[in-house]
Amino acid sequence: MNDKLLIEITHITKRYEMGDNVVMALQDVNLKIERGEYLSIMGPSGSGKSTFMNILGCLDTPSIGEYKFRGVDVSKLDDDALSAMRNKEIGFVFQNFNLLPKLNAVQNVELPLAYAGVPAAERRERAIRALERVKLADRMYHKPSELSGGQRQRVAIARALVTNPGILLADEPTGALDSKTGVEIMRLFDELHREGDNTIILITHEQEIANYAIRNVYIKDGTIHYDRLNTNRTIVT
Amino acid sequence: MEYSENIKVAWQGLTDHKFRSFLTMLGIIFGVASVIAMLSIGEGAKREAIAKYQDLGVNNIIVREKDMTDEELEEVRTKFSPGLSLHDAEVIREIVPGVSRIAAQAEINADVKYTNRSVKSSVIGVTPEFYDILNYKINEGEFIGNLHYNGKQKVCVLGAGIAFTLFQKEEPIGKMIKIEDQWLEVIGVLESKALFTETVGELAARDLNTDVYVPLSMFLDRFSRGNTLDSEIQQLTIQVENSEHLMETSTLINEIVKRHHFNNEDYGIVIPFELLKQEEKERQIYNFLLGAIAAISLLVGGIGIMNIMLATVMERTREIGIRRAIGARKRDIMTQFVTEAVVISIAGGIVGVVAGVSLSLLVSVFTDVSTYIRLYSIVIAFAFSVVVGVVFGYLPAKNAANLKPVDSIRYE
Repeated sequence: MNDKLLIEITHITKRYEMGDNVVMALQDVNLKIERGEYLSIMGPSGSGKSTFMNILGCLDTPSIGEYKFRGVDVSKLDDDALSAMRNKEIGFVFQNFNLLPKLNAVQNVELPLAYAGVPAAERRERAIRALERVKLADRMYHKPSELSGGQRQRVAIARALVTNPGILLADEPTGALDSKTGVEIMRLFDELHREGDNTIILITHEQEIANYAIRNVYIKDGTIHYDRLNTNRTIVT
Repeated sequence: MEYSENIKVAWQGLTDHKFRSFLTMLGIIFGVASVIAMLSIGEGAKREAIAKYQDLGVNNIIVREKDMTDEELEEVRTKFSPGLSLHDAEVIREIVPGVSRIAAQAEINADVKYTNRSVKSSVIGVTPEFYDILNYKINEGEFIGNLHYNGKQKVCVLGAGIAFTLFQKEEPIGKMIKIEDQWLEVIGVLESKALFTETVGELAARDLNTDVYVPLSMFLDRFSRGNTLDSEIQQLTIQVENSEHLMETSTLINEIVKRHHFNNEDYGIVIPFELLKQEEKERQIYNFLLGAIAAISLLVGGIGIMNIMLATVMERTREIGIRRAIGARKRDIMTQFVTEAVVISIAGGIVGVVAGVSLSLLVSVFTDVSTYIRLYSIVIAFAFSVVVGVVFGYLPAKNAANLKPVDSIRYE
């Protein structure tokens, strides 16, 4: 078995029943992701990419098929085990940041560690390191409302990184940002990939963003249309 | 997540919406305060009753002459009743088993004079047993003893109230007072006694502190009765050895006295202990009602908490989604929201305890209702408020925990 293999998805189908209608959000999707990869999953709205992201992020389970994460079949886990997976293996970055408004930056970053049962002192130390990593150590005690959009997204990335997860799962990470700030965030992802050997999955509907990734997966109508290396990758300078 | 953090988060949530939290707490505050106030009023009434009956003696049976008009008195005399007498006391002592002591007393109302002061008072002729049987306490000097009684000495003991009215700051012991045409020497002053505020059977409500006590032997010799038909004495207080046989003993006493009075029921029998038990029973019903009212207000308080918590969960769907996405388990969310409900109810409970205690104190200071706060009532009320928090926080917390992370994270 390939010891670099991180995620193995085989014949995944997700169906929603809405009254008499059955919606097939995903149909027979297969995908393998290795450790250290940087890939994008692109598709127009309604393509099933959000459903795919939810399954990848252990927020949802497939109707049929197998999702193996480090060899463990995630689709058979119970709610507590899925919570633990999200806590330890998945680092979410959302379009609208999803920070808790009443907590300051470092408290937001600490939160996943609190649910992991890490002692308070160690938590603070690791949260500060994660904030340093995204170059936001000087805004540690600011609340999200006192930060700019780009800074908020950096806090969110620090929160995603703090548990050293298996994958960073970024859902339209630049969607709420202006293009200049968006480029800065993409530069940060690039650094995290090159220097930190992180596995990064970008979910987006924009070709421009997908172009930052090394591997491009395109989803349409619930199936993978293509899965190829990105030959004209945008290099952040 | 350590539990202390949940408390911190809950406290934060509470202080973020101070006014809303206060309104939510009001129900609990009223509930807890009313539980404490009601229990303390109940306890105060109970203690007052016990004190009252203890004054009458829980081992005593009191035989007292009925209050009769001159016509009624004439009627019973023509039917050969001699009225209550020392002879009755002797017969009871001889026949009734288990009697430890008997005190007889005769009474007249008279003016009591010292220098230029004069007070209307009950002058009571008593036997020396009176002091022990009726739980009297002497403040200074001594009570009427065998020597005074047997020697028919012209002495008296004053109630605390009358002693003060007559002598004010003067020393009463050894002074001479005048009752009708008799001069008596004051040999003792009693400690102040609680007002006897309720009429119990033949025992009329009155202030015992204005009484003057004299030896019964001397009283019968020297004081004239208003009506020649008056009985020799007005009351017999019989102390029994064992309170378990009070009912049987009193039945026997009734039989004896009735026979000696030729079936004239010109007397009544009061058993303080039985009255105490009866009153306790009545109060139990009353306490139960008060408790039910308090419980209902706590229930309403709990529903208020539930209502607000349900709204809070809705309002914070997004937060719940975020927490779930970064690894919170259902039980973490559950704990968080139950803790919030409990923190609200505990905070309400604490304010309620303070309000309840203050209310009880205010009631006892500004009204003549006496209250007594027992620690257990505070503990009960407080524990109840915590239970209310857990019970009524459970459903909203369950709702919160069961939100699907995938839906709640995108909730706007």
